[in-house]
Amino acid sequence: MLERELLIPNRLGLHARATARLVQLLSGFRCNATLTAKGREVNAKSIMGVMLLAAGQGTPVLLRVDGVDEAEAAAAVVALFERCFDEDS
Amino acid sequence: MAVGILLITHEGIGPALIAVATGLLRQLPLRVEAFEVPLGGDPDALLPQASAALRRVDGGFGVLVLTDLYGATPSNLAAKLARLGTPVRRVSALSLPMLLRVMNYADLDLDELPAVAAAGARNGVIQDDA
Repeated sequence: MLERELLIPNRLGLHARATARLVQLLSGFRCNATLTAKGREVNAKSIMGVMLLAAGQGTPVLLRVDGVDEAEAAAAVVALFERCFDEDS
Repeated sequence: MAVGILLITHEGIGPALIAVATGLLRQLPLRVEAFEVPLGGDPDALLPQASAALRRVDGGFGVLVLTDLYGATPSNLAAKLARLGTPVRRVSALSLPMLLRVMNYADLDLDELPAVAAAGARNGVIQDDA
């Protein structure tokens, strides 16, 4: 299992489009993935699950991946956060 | 193994949901079409057009028909469609969470998708008092 501490980087937070990016990215990996924020842990491969976090810009989130391709999945998610979910800000 | 998705709804609902889902997911993994039923529409008169839409989305693995309101004319039309021969499963109370969840489970077969769709709608209801 791998864990990565991340901050929500984009102005709109984990809104629907950003969530869809994250979930679609993770759906390409076989490992299990969860996100924890504000004391709540959700399935990071579920759009409604991730949106339940209602995580705004600057919110700390903990990514937890567990499975054969966990390293690749963690790296891909970190890269997506660094790219601000491919949004402008 | 790609199931087709047909939204049968009152006017204005199905196309709007498809437009938003496409905007969020960029490309929908399943073939989707919306069929709109006007208020006062006659299900028997609309059946041939609806059947044509059903055939357009069917890739040979059946069609999941999502309707907006159980018991209303769109869902009664869906019930007629289900008797035409193409394998059809129906779920009502179509919503954006339902549609997104179905797209997130695009590799499942027709028998599994109704439960996925229903859970999507159910889990989409949040009483937000926080």
